[in-house]
Amino acid sequence: MTPRALLSITRAPWLAGVLAGAVLVGVVIPLHRHQAVATKFDLVEERVWLLPPVGALRVASLGFHGMAADAVWLLTVQYIGGHFMTDGRFPELRRLVEAVVSLDPHFVEAYTLGALFLDYSGAHVQASLDLLQRGYRANPNRWELPHDIARTYYLELKDYAKALEWFKIADQIPGRPAYVPRFLARLYAATGHRETALELWQAMRDSATSDWVRDIAEREIAKLERQPAGPSTQGETTQP
Amino acid sequence: MRIAAIAWNTFREAVRDRILYSILAFALLLIGASVILAGLSIGQESRIVKDLGLASTTLFGTFIAIFLGITLVSKEIERRTIYVIIPKPISRPGFLIGKYCGLVLTLMVTVGVMGLMVFLLSGLVDGVLTPTLLIAAGLDFVALMIITAVALLFSTFSTPTLSAILTVAVFVIGRLSGDLTVFAEQFADPILRRLIWVMYLTLPDLGRFQFGSRVVQGLPLVPADIGMAVAYGLAYMSFLLLLAITIFQRRDFK
Repeated sequence: MTPRALLSITRAPWLAGVLAGAVLVGVVIPLHRHQAVATKFDLVEERVWLLPPVGALRVASLGFHGMAADAVWLLTVQYIGGHFMTDGRFPELRRLVEAVVSLDPHFVEAYTLGALFLDYSGAHVQASLDLLQRGYRANPNRWELPHDIARTYYLELKDYAKALEWFKIADQIPGRPAYVPRFLARLYAATGHRETALELWQAMRDSATSDWVRDIAEREIAKLERQPAGPSTQGETTQP
Repeated sequence: MRIAAIAWNTFREAVRDRILYSILAFALLLIGASVILAGLSIGQESRIVKDLGLASTTLFGTFIAIFLGITLVSKEIERRTIYVIIPKPISRPGFLIGKYCGLVLTLMVTVGVMGLMVFLLSGLVDGVLTPTLLIAAGLDFVALMIITAVALLFSTFSTPTLSAILTVAVFVIGRLSGDLTVFAEQFADPILRRLIWVMYLTLPDLGRFQFGSRVVQGLPLVPADIGMAVAYGLAYMSFLLLLAITIFQRRDFK
């Protein structure tokens, strides 16, 4: 078709419209779909890799720090999802979560979920604690942060003295869950650690807002349920 | 009465402008799309709807303020209607204030529509309404009043294109002016630090009107902070209007 003929066709508006629709449905969408499917995971990785430093993000977001934090958080969620379904390792997670909380230090869920997945990957327990403690310093009125610090000490590091210390802080903050005083009593008595751990994971499963978190909690519950419910494991622990 | 008539006419003219509806439609689309984005956020639906909604209100409100504000005076000159208005028994300051009030009224309606949509959507997502969102949108509106006054000031002596560029520059500086104080501390030279400090005090600090993040986090709003922000906004707007009137008084329309 010559350009002249094409021009004469596009003079009829309905024909040009039909042609535009055909190009969109027949060429643009299939091409775009092919690329999107082929590069879906790589695209997230590339965006994570190319994420600018926090200082630059703060300037580029023109003071819309909350919205910028949300955008990085959405990227973080995609990153977690991609790795959770594949290798279970999150080498860039710390950088991503730190970008989120630097943009918005009051984004409590970024601290708690970020810390949970850092824990889950196994090699980053200290990074997870650092993140939660940073969150607690910025949000001293939120019980979730000392609660999760206590949980990390209790479940990951088995440091019951530290767990007791942080559960005591969580207990003082309004809105804390009803089970916190029960844990405190058990920790003071240094008994029933298996039951406490079970209840902690069950509480996490019941309050989970994501299938991934629920999945982690259920795996840990199943692991604990396979252990015999014997007497206190007091001897193995640091005394509170 | 004459100022009110000019304001009403400016409002009627603005609401007939197609660009206003295009911007408003995009804003409402983006605010609506926040619900879809929120679904990807692991329990952060409410936060994303509020953050994106308030940011859209500010951004699109700024577009409206700039696109309509920069042509407030130049359009009258281009159409030569100003030569008809000036000899009439209305003062130049009255004409300018009327124009400004008309545009502010237009912004009040558009920001009101966007703010209400954010308020209702977040109520739908949360299951409970957050009245403080309306306060945050109201404070955004005060910031937009300053941007409108900046656009009006530039439109009194400059072309629409240059006015748009200068107003966008003031908006960007205003959004980042809080960082100027941090920036100043990087320099050892006390004169330079003093100069940056003076710039910080002179340029509009639009960060003072950002109460959205506190609302999103459910933190309490301090009435004194709100009062101070509104007082600062009204004072800065008065300063800009007086400056615009001074320049407009000196222009020759004969």
